[in-house]
Amino acid sequence: MVRLNIMLLVAVLASALYLVHTQYESRRLFTELDRATVEARRLETEHQRLEVEKRAQATPLRVEKLAQGKLNMRTATPAITQYVADPQGERKP
Amino acid sequence: MSRSVLYTSSPLLASKTPVWRSKFIVAMIALGFLGLVGRAAYVQVFGNAFFQRQGEVRFARTLELPANRGKIVDRNGLILASSVPAASIWAIPEDVEQDKPEVRAKLRQLAKLLDMPQAELQRRLADEDKTFVWIKRQLDWGLGQQIAALDIKGIYQRKEYKRQYPEGEAAAHVVGFTNVEDHGQEGMELAFDKDLAGKPGSRRVIKDRLGRVVEGVGETVPPVDGKDMQLSIDSKVQFFAYQKLRDQVLAHKAKAGSVVVLDAHTGELLALANYPSYVPDKRQNLTGEQLRNRALTDVFEPGSTMKPFTIGLALESGRVRPDTIIDTRPGRVTITGSTISDTHDYGVLTVEGVIQKSSNVGTTKIAMQMPAREMWETFSAAGFGQKPQIGFPGAISGRLRPYKTWRPVEQATMSYGYGLSASLFQMARSYTVFANGGRVIPATLLKTHETAVGVPVFSERTADQVRKMLQMAAGPGGTGQKAQTLGYSVGGKSGTARKQVGKSYASGKYRAWFTGMAPIDKPRIIVAVMIDEPSNGVFYGGAVAAPVFSEVVQQTLRMMGVQPDMAVKPQIVADTVEESL
Repeated sequence: MVRLNIMLLVAVLASALYLVHTQYESRRLFTELDRATVEARRLETEHQRLEVEKRAQATPLRVEKLAQGKLNMRTATPAITQYVADPQGERKP
Repeated sequence: MSRSVLYTSSPLLASKTPVWRSKFIVAMIALGFLGLVGRAAYVQVFGNAFFQRQGEVRFARTLELPANRGKIVDRNGLILASSVPAASIWAIPEDVEQDKPEVRAKLRQLAKLLDMPQAELQRRLADEDKTFVWIKRQLDWGLGQQIAALDIKGIYQRKEYKRQYPEGEAAAHVVGFTNVEDHGQEGMELAFDKDLAGKPGSRRVIKDRLGRVVEGVGETVPPVDGKDMQLSIDSKVQFFAYQKLRDQVLAHKAKAGSVVVLDAHTGELLALANYPSYVPDKRQNLTGEQLRNRALTDVFEPGSTMKPFTIGLALESGRVRPDTIIDTRPGRVTITGSTISDTHDYGVLTVEGVIQKSSNVGTTKIAMQMPAREMWETFSAAGFGQKPQIGFPGAISGRLRPYKTWRPVEQATMSYGYGLSASLFQMARSYTVFANGGRVIPATLLKTHETAVGVPVFSERTADQVRKMLQMAAGPGGTGQKAQTLGYSVGGKSGTARKQVGKSYASGKYRAWFTGMAPIDKPRIIVAVMIDEPSNGVFYGGAVAAPVFSEVVQQTLRMMGVQPDMAVKPQIVADTVEESL
């Protein structure tokens, strides 16, 4: 009888300790997940910011300025364009 | 001898105290335990909910999960408006130790970073009673990091979002802007504020002593990000249209101008620009002049650009044919006592010639053969006096009075565009009648793929005939020759309307119009241009507005990949360039 009781006590203690451990582990993982989520969000906004910046660097105004100023380009007109037929048939724009 | 003490016989221990005292102490201790048991029962059982709540209040926090505001993109997916993180600087004035020299040096640096006069910063920090003062809101994120690096006690920052508009002033009127609280104030930002805004979510968490999230409790409401809006605007077309318009307004010392480019098949707005404009990111010192989206919110008398509708109706009802002879001599006609005149005596014209030369007398003579009701019905069907179904804030319906109130002379003036009013956008849309086989199609600011289904106003034959007249008007001998562009056939009608000031027409103040389409046989685009008060000598629509039309058509069709329908003398020079080896 006593032995059974002792065994049960040990089992209860072990289970209790395991519970504590599990709780700790779950909190640790939760914090990690949370941190990862925050990081993901930060990266996402960063991505968006860079996207906007990329776009701001490629606005028609800037492109035109650089094309004319730096690269000595000029706007194409039909007079200096050679039109070729598309053998695949007329492509829908 | 035993060293142990005999408790029973030791005289020192012989108790003289009464028995009740020990009993009393036992009772007191028992009572004490009872008290503890009672308290424990109270805390654990009866007051449990209360204590649980109190505990949560100290550790549980509701975190708001902000939703991203949706992007606004153009028809090719290029960003027109997007949210980026921004730093807002705030302070607790009382915590800023301004008397310390090193803090003062840092504050000077801060003022420099903020681009704010030292005195202004001092003034904000002066009120020590306040516990919260905004220093500056929505700074660039990088700048915020620099300020954080200064590490001044009492100066803090908060992460906010601000809108960025890469397209700047070119697309300002269409896209609009948001305020500091991220709510739409103008343009599409306002029109679709609800869809763009999204819905913030929330979640409840338990934080530990150091503020780290350790556990989530209860349900998490995920944030719903705002929807992205894809507009029908093509940012390249928009930019070129704005640029050409701006150049022309400045060259002719005009007050303002607008241009609208419409896809003739789908009714999509490819560009809508106004000058003067503004940079949406820098909105200090904005005036109403700059803010107004004139193409949609201002109405004017369209003048001669109205004539094709009058002529179209006459053709449709079989009252005239394109070659019917109209005598416009002597360049004047009197209707119930009022005289209507042309700038020259055009003599005898055909109906085609009336449009080509833009004869008021000819148009009046044709219009007076028709009942007012029919004219009213045609004008209404083409969208005049009707509210545009475009979902844009402030889009105005213009004025077209009920035909029963028209006096004969008013019917005459309306036939050539006076006595009624329309916005430039309405004007452009109404011309879809001629571009689309007689059907007026609904215009949209959102991208679609479908060809719009229109409401018939004229038959296809009438539309073709009027289109031919528009081509003549923009061709040799017409009023809008400057609308010609390299490689593409165009057609359109110029208009020069005297400006109404108060109750009468002002002398020397005009509005120059040009509305037309290209390529003329199978129109792909409709372009409408309006220039307000050109005051550099010339003021005719054919001289001031038509060149803008010409350049916008040229650029737009090229960007749409439309092959020229007219022969062009090629200027491709095959320069033999020696290649270096």
